[in-house]
Amino acid sequence: MAGLARIGAISVILMLVALLAVLTTAAWPSIQAYGTSFLFSSDWRPNELNVPMKDGDGHVIIEDGEVVMETIPPSFGALPVIYGTAVSSVLALVFAVPLSFGTALFLVRLCPKKLIGSVSFLIEFLAAIPSIAFGMWGLFVLSPLLQNYIEPGLRSALSWIPGVNGWLFEETVKRGSKVVTSEVPLTGSDLFTGGLVLAIMILPIITAISRDVLRNVPRAQIEGTLALGATWWQSSWEMLRYSRSALFGAVMLGLARASGETMAITMVIGNNNQIKPSLFAPAQTMSSLLANEFAEASTEIHRSSLCEVALILLLMSLIFNVVARWLVVGKGARTSAAA
Amino acid sequence: MKQSVMSADGPPQRAIDMSGQAMPNRSPRVQQSIHGAGEKRRAPSLGHLEAVAEDESTTVTHEALETESPVVEIDNFSLYYGAKQALFNVSMNVPHGKVTSMVGPSGCGKSTLLRSVNRLNDLIDHVRTEGSMRYGGMDIYSRNINVIELRKSLGMVFQKPNPFPMSIFENVVYPLRIDGEKRKNVLMEVCERSLRGAALWDEVKDRLHESALGMSGGQQQRLCIARAVAASPDVLLMDEPCSALDPIATAKIEDLIQELKGEYTILIVTHNMQQAARTTDYTAFMYLGRLIEYGPTLDMFTKPRCRQTEDYMTGRFG
Amino acid sequence: MASSTLRNPRRSSRPLYQKYLRFSNGLFMGLCVASTLLILAILAMVMLYLLSRGFTHISLDFFTKVEIAEGMAGSPGGMSHALVGTGILIGLASVVGIPLGMLAGIYLSEYSSNSWLGAPTRFIADVLSGVPSIVVGILGYELIVVPVGNANGYAGALALAFIMIPIVARTTEEMVRLVPNSYREASIALGATKARTILRVVLPTASGSIITGIMLAVARVAGETAPLLFTAGASRFMTFDPQQPFPSLTVAIFLFSTGPFKDQQQLAWAGILILIGLIFLLNLVVRLTVHRVQSRRFAGA
Ligand SMILES: Nc1ncnc2c1ncn2[C@@H]1O[C@H](COP(=O)(O)OP(=O)(O)O)[C@@H](O)[C@H]1O
Ligand SMILES: [Mg+2]
Repeated sequence: MAGLARIGAISVILMLVALLAVLTTAAWPSIQAYGTSFLFSSDWRPNELNVPMKDGDGHVIIEDGEVVMETIPPSFGALPVIYGTAVSSVLALVFAVPLSFGTALFLVRLCPKKLIGSVSFLIEFLAAIPSIAFGMWGLFVLSPLLQNYIEPGLRSALSWIPGVNGWLFEETVKRGSKVVTSEVPLTGSDLFTGGLVLAIMILPIITAISRDVLRNVPRAQIEGTLALGATWWQSSWEMLRYSRSALFGAVMLGLARASGETMAITMVIGNNNQIKPSLFAPAQTMSSLLANEFAEASTEIHRSSLCEVALILLLMSLIFNVVARWLVVGKGARTSAAA
Repeated sequence: MKQSVMSADGPPQRAIDMSGQAMPNRSPRVQQSIHGAGEKRRAPSLGHLEAVAEDESTTVTHEALETESPVVEIDNFSLYYGAKQALFNVSMNVPHGKVTSMVGPSGCGKSTLLRSVNRLNDLIDHVRTEGSMRYGGMDIYSRNINVIELRKSLGMVFQKPNPFPMSIFENVVYPLRIDGEKRKNVLMEVCERSLRGAALWDEVKDRLHESALGMSGGQQQRLCIARAVAASPDVLLMDEPCSALDPIATAKIEDLIQELKGEYTILIVTHNMQQAARTTDYTAFMYLGRLIEYGPTLDMFTKPRCRQTEDYMTGRFG
Repeated sequence: MASSTLRNPRRSSRPLYQKYLRFSNGLFMGLCVASTLLILAILAMVMLYLLSRGFTHISLDFFTKVEIAEGMAGSPGGMSHALVGTGILIGLASVVGIPLGMLAGIYLSEYSSNSWLGAPTRFIADVLSGVPSIVVGILGYELIVVPVGNANGYAGALALAFIMIPIVARTTEEMVRLVPNSYREASIALGATKARTILRVVLPTASGSIITGIMLAVARVAGETAPLLFTAGASRFMTFDPQQPFPSLTVAIFLFSTGPFKDQQQLAWAGILILIGLIFLLNLVVRLTVHRVQSRRFAGA
């Protein structure tokens, strides 16, 4: 029994080792070929490109009446997907964190006792809905809604603010030597939609953890503030302050979820491998890039580069999870020791 | 914890001896007597129990209280935790500018009564009250009272020190912060005066901006007193402020209570007879949710009028 | 020192600030209520939409037919092959994942107390349950699909098992820990070996809650799509051979819903309904049994 159980434990450790080892090996050609520039290049082009060769003055070279072509090798840079992951996740946090904290405070301090169980169950059930279901809902409901009503509404409401129009609703494209400014087409498949869907998906976990954290604030702390004449909100604020590091851990867990989420985001983010400043432009995240391209990667270097993206995603989620668990568990231990 | 319970029930003669002494001074011998009490008590005889049943429903209030002007007037006050009644028709006036202690066995409703005064029991579900309680003439339980302002006038010190996880300075000025006070000099001034008032200034003046959680238990409790004082309340409500502290820290807090006397009206719950005898002007004895007897501390110890009071004061039950 | 210098001056109450306090208090209280209502509204919106679309498009064909390609007679057919596929994948994953996960959990609770292995295993199990599932899919691809040469059911099942193991391990650990030590001592005192004690006393006592944990793990992997995309792949046929590309409900839903054909999208809605229904049932059973287990525990205490 002891030996068998040990096998179980060791296999858990081996799972992590396998993840790291296999992904690193698979990513090795790409790591060797691109080094750190992989992280900073925004050029993701799996296929080689045939373009007219140009001379020093930028003129197309023509020989024997034919344009001379040159072949540019494929190139891989992860910056656009890192950017897409970061922006969509942060956007998700911006939407989800205030809602989650508000709901957690409601559950801990306002909710009638009889309702706490059912409200908690409903919110936790939101966490059990599979990603693909949110994806379909996002694709067929949220995305058209945003495209037809909300995004145009936001445009007419916000674009008078200096800078906002240029940032969110216009894009500049280089056409040859000219710089053309055009409106961003509002498609409803963009970073903004992705952030919204991710927000809905991480609401339950942030709410559940912060509810537990706030519930563990010692009574003496709350009564201490109230006895000094603090209002409900002032004492709630002290509760949030008191548990700030654990709450930060909850947010980190939400961030970890958001950044690794795949199916739903793949279905709504527009899948465009370019960095555009507008939140209403289609984008790509690390996970959606993998979902979209991995099955079709035909060259060794393409697959290897995708594996490197997966490796980055893995390392990122490991860091987020480790930090989050350390904050939540560490803080929890401290509060219970103090109580 | 165990120790203080024991001391409260210390041998009868000693408790009475104590009350005969001049109040504030504690000799080392007294210290010892507080914490060295280890004798087992006799179980109350049947005769005592009958006495308990007899004068259950009326409070004996000594005449001396009639000459005092009350700050908090409690009138026929009852409190229920759901179906369980914790206070039965309590009537007592807390005299202005005096130190009044509430004593009685564990679970008799002292904390409940104290927390009713600043309406901290509002937080607990299913709490229901009857009768009235007035502070400065206002009905504490009336609908249109401003609970926030009420609590600002009634400072509270809890059984266990509960400093907030911030710097010493921020702890002390918290009552001003929640009032929106931002002027640095005002905050600093109040901080110093409150810490001096709590006899803590000299110990912490060089580390005002360090975390309050790094202080010793006794310092933390004095910090909590400073914090309560910073709000400039009229009344200080203290719920067994020394029960979590060691003898030396307890002595400091008792000295402090003597200092604060006259500045504030103090209503203090204590489990410790000697403490009540040493530090207070009036003593209220509670038993099973009822106020049994209420009078000048000295009289309560030397010539109590109720059998139960005598039994309790002399440590025959606890 | 004159004692009056100790007294802080009475602060004049500022009516304006009080008004502000009352306003901000009400505002934030309202916002807390509003955010709860908003979350519940979102849940209701999502659920109602998914359910109503699902019920509109569900039919007997869904359960009896396999996918029929667009343009062929009888298209779009049904998703019976995907249902069966998901069932087989979960079954295979459970065969690997549950024993391994339980063993790890037993190790963590019963054997790890004086071993260096305990803390890192627990930590890694926690961290692994947060690994993005698409990464697990890529691991399965590199590890199994590449050597074998084609997507296959075994790879998909192993990817799902990979996700199950940490969950099962941690719940088993927690549930086994709840078994009072007196039970173990009683068994040991009767001369039973530690292994026998675990098998005959500890595990049976905790079995209800362990099964609960396993059901949660099953509910979790039943909804997984990303780890199957590159491992099990997809198939339009009813198949029982895990060496071949293997159909699953979630991947089929993904392909249908992102594909161009209306009638396939409708099949996808029905599929989502079945999937959510399954997961909801598992969660409900868990919730009910957890209540029972807890009350039993309290009754025993
Ligand atoms: N929150 C509560 N809910 C229910 N009963 C309570 C609560 N707090 C106190 N009680 C009960 O009220 C009685 C008085 O308690 P308390 O005022 O704390 O006593 P004391 O402070 O004198 O030891 C006790 O019997 C106690 O069990
Ligand atoms: Mg008490």
